[in-house]
Amino acid sequence: MIMAEPVTRKARKPPEDQTSALPPEPTPEEDLVRHARRGDLTAYDELVRRYQERIYATIYHMTSNHEDANDLAQEAFIKAFHALKSFKGGSSFYTWVYRIAVNKTINFLKQRKNKAQLSLDDLDFHAEHDPDLVALVSDKTPRRDVSLAELQEKLNIAMQKLSEPHRLVVTLHDVQGLSHEEIAKIMECNIGTVRSRLFYARQQLQAYLSDYLK
Amino acid sequence: MTKTSMYPDSENFDSLRRLLGLKRHEQPPPGYFHHFSRNVIVRIQAGERGVDSTSLERLLWEAPWLQRFWTALEAKPVLAGALGVAACAMLLAGIIYSLPDNAPAPYSSASPQAMLLSAQRSIQGSIFSPDAPVDFTNGLSGDSTGSLFGQPVKQIKYILPGN
Repeated sequence: MIMAEPVTRKARKPPEDQTSALPPEPTPEEDLVRHARRGDLTAYDELVRRYQERIYATIYHMTSNHEDANDLAQEAFIKAFHALKSFKGGSSFYTWVYRIAVNKTINFLKQRKNKAQLSLDDLDFHAEHDPDLVALVSDKTPRRDVSLAELQEKLNIAMQKLSEPHRLVVTLHDVQGLSHEEIAKIMECNIGTVRSRLFYARQQLQAYLSDYLK
Repeated sequence: MTKTSMYPDSENFDSLRRLLGLKRHEQPPPGYFHHFSRNVIVRIQAGERGVDSTSLERLLWEAPWLQRFWTALEAKPVLAGALGVAACAMLLAGIIYSLPDNAPAPYSSASPQAMLLSAQRSIQGSIFSPDAPVDFTNGLSGDSTGSLFGQPVKQIKYILPGN
């Protein structure tokens, strides 16, 4: 493999008069991609670090299984590295690697179909203080005895009942906050399809979770 | 006039969206991402040192139609089975149709008469040709001593006159 001049994680040094105040500028994504294409693993490591949390989260919300998400996220990044030469730069690296991860996950889920097993990540400390969630688990909730952990499990079970494209749209939009346009690029479909899938998926979820919604 | 949408983004789904916010609080074990990228790089390096097992994957990735085809086969074993049966059927049909209609049965050609007839046909053109005489030798030159026991070998030569 051709080894290019490595990209150091510490980015360009700012001028002397600004060194104390400003954080180092991150290396532009295009530069990292160019170096990674030539086999520079330091550059690719930086790319992985930039997107690992979002890619992991998407796969995790699709599978509701930490171990599967871990394997698939790593495999997606490995596959992306090997396919870098075919990356034309028509979209951002971020969209492109997202697409790889999503396709890999959907293929995996099609094979797994009948043996879905939940292996949920723990809720972080902030969940109990989230005003929206506090409101949901308040006295006004139809199920007064529900805990956040139980709600989490019910929510994940309901998500797993959706078809993969519908679950993906809900994950990307309602959980991860991506725009319709970004989702359309990742899913390689038009925005109208994204909107209709989102509407249908929400309807389905609302029906599955009606006991837990006001 | 109020603008209405076919797929309202927020109407009726506020509670659901709040509930979905719970998923944002699901986090992998602490420190999980500290080693994530390192694991990816180690696996890439391990793959490069080993057999190039990703060649097929790369080929599949670079030819999207092939990837879609492979995915369809993986997702639907019935389709893969049907394809296999179709391929076997085509192979069998090819073999059957490639046999000539008037071909003799395989064992009949092994009969003594058939073998004799075949041998006659094969040498007919040379022995009975009206041109140059045919030279039958034992394949050795006159001065050869290439026998098994070191004895000098005598060249035998038969010459048949042409017609």
